[in-house]
Amino acid sequence: MLDRRDFLKLGGATAFAALFGGCERLPRKIVPFVIPPENHKLGEALWYASVCRQCPAGCGIVVRVAEGRAKKIEGNPLHPVNRGKLCARGQAGLQVLYHPERLGRPLILSGPRGSGKFREASWEEAIAALMAGMKKVRTDDPASLLMLTEPMRGHANLVAARFMRAFGSPHRVAWDPFGQDALLSACDAVFGVRDVPEYDIAGARYVLSFSGDFLETGLSPVHYGRAYGRMRQERPTVRGKLVHFGPRLSMTAANADVYLPIAPGTEGLAALGIAHVMVKEKLSPAAAAASSLWGSGLDRMTPDAVAQATGLVAADIAAVAREFAGNRPGLAIAGDAAASCTNGTFNVACAALLNALAGSVGAPGGVSFPNRLAPFSRYGADAALLLPPPESGYPALREAIGKMERGAFRMALLSGAANPAFCLPASLKFGEALLKVPLVVSFASFLDETTSLSDLVLPVPTYLEEWGDDIAPAGHAGDAVTLSQPVVDAYRDTRAMSDILIAAGKELGGPVAAALPWASFRECVDKAYGGKGVNLEEARRQGGIFTGKPGPSRPTPKAARPALPKPSAAAFEGDPAKYPFVLHVYPSIAHADGRGANLTWLQEMPDPVTTAVWRNWVEIAPETARRLGLADGDGVTVTSPSGSLEAFVVIHPAIAAGVAAMPLGQGHARYGQHAAGRGGNPFALLPAGEDAGSKGPARQSTRVALAKAKVAGTLVRTVNVEGQWKYENIL
Amino acid sequence: MKHKWAMVIDMDRCTGCGACVVACAAENNTPTAGEAEAAKGRLMHWLRISRYWKREGNETRAIFVPTPCMHCEKAPCEIVCPVYATYHDEDDNLNAMVYNRCIGTRYCANNCPYSVRVFNWWNYTWEKPLDEQLNPDLSVRSRGVMEKCTYCIQRIRRARETAISERREIRDGEVVPACAQTCPPGAIVFGDTADPDSAVSRVLKDPRVFKLMEHLGTDPSTAYLKKQRGPGR
Repeated sequence: MLDRRDFLKLGGATAFAALFGGCERLPRKIVPFVIPPENHKLGEALWYASVCRQCPAGCGIVVRVAEGRAKKIEGNPLHPVNRGKLCARGQAGLQVLYHPERLGRPLILSGPRGSGKFREASWEEAIAALMAGMKKVRTDDPASLLMLTEPMRGHANLVAARFMRAFGSPHRVAWDPFGQDALLSACDAVFGVRDVPEYDIAGARYVLSFSGDFLETGLSPVHYGRAYGRMRQERPTVRGKLVHFGPRLSMTAANADVYLPIAPGTEGLAALGIAHVMVKEKLSPAAAAASSLWGSGLDRMTPDAVAQATGLVAADIAAVAREFAGNRPGLAIAGDAAASCTNGTFNVACAALLNALAGSVGAPGGVSFPNRLAPFSRYGADAALLLPPPESGYPALREAIGKMERGAFRMALLSGAANPAFCLPASLKFGEALLKVPLVVSFASFLDETTSLSDLVLPVPTYLEEWGDDIAPAGHAGDAVTLSQPVVDAYRDTRAMSDILIAAGKELGGPVAAALPWASFRECVDKAYGGKGVNLEEARRQGGIFTGKPGPSRPTPKAARPALPKPSAAAFEGDPAKYPFVLHVYPSIAHADGRGANLTWLQEMPDPVTTAVWRNWVEIAPETARRLGLADGDGVTVTSPSGSLEAFVVIHPAIAAGVAAMPLGQGHARYGQHAAGRGGNPFALLPAGEDAGSKGPARQSTRVALAKAKVAGTLVRTVNVEGQWKYENIL
Repeated sequence: MKHKWAMVIDMDRCTGCGACVVACAAENNTPTAGEAEAAKGRLMHWLRISRYWKREGNETRAIFVPTPCMHCEKAPCEIVCPVYATYHDEDDNLNAMVYNRCIGTRYCANNCPYSVRVFNWWNYTWEKPLDEQLNPDLSVRSRGVMEKCTYCIQRIRRARETAISERREIRDGEVVPACAQTCPPGAIVFGDTADPDSAVSRVLKDPRVFKLMEHLGTDPSTAYLKKQRGPGR
C-alpha cells in the first residue's frame, strides 16, 4: 500500500526528474524508425592479437576492442596452430573477462577455513599477509612451501620455477587432469621419443581413431578440426577416411565413416588385431619387416581372439587392416578414453605401433616429432621450462596430498584454473588434506571448490589482460612463439601471479631476488624476445613470432624396430554382479575439466550428440534402458564403489552394451550461480586409479549401478527436430 | 551494385562442434535464455546444430545439420507479416527484419518451415558487467520482438562502407559472418552469388549441393553440400 509519505516522496522525485531530466542533450539527429538499426553508421574498432588460454592448446586470437571494451574474439589468421579458427570455448573467453562473479579485490578468510566466507581487503594488507607467511616459511623450513598450479606456459613457468628453486623448495606440482602421461610413455616405448607427436591429419588418407576424440577435446581441437576439414575436402581427388573404435559414439565417432563400438579399455587389443593382420599378410614394407613382433605374442592376436575380447566382428578387423595398409599415408590416434584406463599406456602404444607398421613415422600424412623448443636453445636446460611436458602431474599431486596430510607443508601457493578439489577422485580427499596446510594462498579469478578453501585469495588478470608468451604443445614445428598482451586495460584491480612472485623475490632478497632480476613480468618477456633481430611491437601486432621455418624433426630411434607392447587388460573397480555397467567418462566439449561451467554461453551450447543443455546426464543403450525400465529423461542414481550421484537418463542409440557414459565438467558445488546445482560431479564416482605404464590418472576404471530415482527438475534438450521433420524429409 | 548473398555449408567438413553457435551469440547480442526458458523451447540461438539419428542397417549414425536462417528468395515468413517488419532487402537479397516495426504476432515464426526464428518473450538483461561485451554494431532487441539470423548484416554493411570509401566494389571474401569465420574445419563458405567468380558461386557448382526442404519451393539462399561416406564395412 502506498501511504501519504511515500506518495509525497514519489511525487517529489517525479517532479525532480521532470525538471532536470529535460536538461539532457537533445538528440542532434533523429534516426527514422524505418531504417533497421543494422544500417546505422558503424563505429571503428581495433583488433589486438593475443593467445587463448581456455584450454592448453594455445591458439592465437585477435580481439576486437571498441571504446576500450573487448567485443569479440576471433582466431588469429597468422597463427600456425589455428589459422584464424576458434572453438566454442575460445569464443566464450569474453564471458571470463566480464564475468559478474569475477574477483576484483583480494579476499581474506573471515570465517573458519573451508567455509567460503571471505572479506575484501586492500592489496597492501593482502601482500603483507602473503609476505609474512613467505618470510616465516623461508626462515623456518623453505622446503615446506608447496606450489600447485595448472601447467604454466612460457616465461610464466620459468618465473615460477626459478622462484621455487631459489626459495629452496622442490615441491612444485603442475596439475592437468587431462594430461598426456600415457601418450608420452607410449611414444617413449614405441618411438624412443618422450614427446607429444604431431599428427598430420590433413595429409592422411586413412585415419584410425581409438577413442581418439580429437575433434571435440584432446590436445588441440581447433588445429585437428581444421586438419579434419582439409583431410575430407581439400584435395581434389582424395577424401580421407576416418574409422573410429570406442565405447561410445562421440562427436568424432559421429563424423567417422565407420564407427565400431568396442568394450572400454580394449582399444589396444583392437589395434593389435589390426597389427596381426598387417604383419601376417605383409601388407606394408614395415609390417613385412616386423616379423620379430610375431614371435613375441602378436601371433596370438588373431582377429577371432580380438573380436572375442573387444566385441568387434572378426571380418571388420581384417577389412580395416587391409584398407589401412592399402591407403597410405595412414594415421592411428588414441585419445583420452583409451589413455585414461588402467592399461592406458598399452592402449596408446598399440595405436603408435600401427603408425610404425604403416610406415607413417616422419612421413607426410603421418606422425613426426618436431623440436618445438628450437628457438630457445640458448636457454640450455631451462628451455624445457618454457614448454613443460604436458603431463597430468598426478603422481606428484598424490605424493603432495600425502605430505599435506602429514603436515609437511606450512604454506601452499595455488593457482586457480587447476581445480584439484573438483577434478580429483573424491577418495583422495584433496580438500581435507589442503585444510591441514596452515596457510593457503590462491591466485585466482573465481572462487571455486579449491580456491574457497584458502586463507587468502589474490585476484589475477584474465588471459585477455595479461602480458606473456606461449609455445603451443601441438600444431607447429618449432616455428611459432605466441606473444600475449593485454587487449584491454585491466578491468578489475588485479595483479598477475608472475608479477607478485617477482615482487616477492625482491622483498625476500638474496638468491630469490637474483633469480628474478626483472622489475615486472612484462620486462621479463620483453628482455627474452626484444633485440636479437625481433621487432617486439611488430611481433605483438602479429600475435607472435612465426618464422615459417620449421626446425628439423627429432630422430625416432626405435621406430624402425618396434617392440610389442606388453598386453594388459583394463581393470574396473566393483563387483560386476553388484555394479553391472562400466562407467565411461569423457571431458565435455563445453566445460572440459569443469572450468567452462560458469559461462552461460557454454552452458547453453547444446552438447553435440545429446543436444542437452545446462545439466549433466548419463547415457545408456536402448536395450539397457528397456531392461531397467528407464525412459529418456528419467532420473537415476548412479552408484559406484566410490560414491553416488543423481543424473538424468539419455538413451544413446550407439553406445557399447554394458556401458554407462557421463560427461565431466558439471556438478560444481562452488563455482558461482551458473555452475552450481547442475547435478552431481562424476569425478566423485571415480576411484583413485592409475595407468600402470605412466602413473597417470585412470578415469575409466570403475563400474556403476543404475537405479531409477526421483530427481528434481528435467534435463533440457534442444528442440526435438526428429519430431518436427524426418531426416528424409529435409533433404 | 546489387548483391545476392549466399551461404554454403559443407556437411562433409562440419564436425558439429558448436563453435559457430557461440560465435553467433557473441557477435549478435543474442541473450542467454536460461534453463527454465530453454525447457520451453525458447533458446535464443540464431543458429542451431540439428542432430539427427539415422539408422542404416544395424548401425545408428548421428548427422549434424547446422541450421541458420535460409534467407529464402520466396520466404514464407515475409508474406504473413501484417506490418512489413520482415521484408525482402532489395539491395542485398536478404530476408531482413525491422525490429521497430515488429508487433510480435509471431506469424512469421509460425510460417517458417525451418524454425529458425526466435522470439523475445522477455526483456532479457545482461548481468553487469557482461553488457560490456555487447556488439555496438547492432541493437539489443526488447520484449515482443522476433529475431533471426541476418547473415551478419552488420559485417556486410561494414564491408560496403569500406568499399565505398575506397571507391571500389566489395571483394570476394571481404564479408565473413561470425559462424563462417570461426568454423574450425572450414565448413561454411559465404559470399555473393551475383559475382560468378566468387568462392561461393564456385562451390555451388558442386554436384553435392542440396537445399533444405527444397520441395517447398522456398528457394533458400543457404545451401548444403551432402555428406560423403567412404566405403563402409
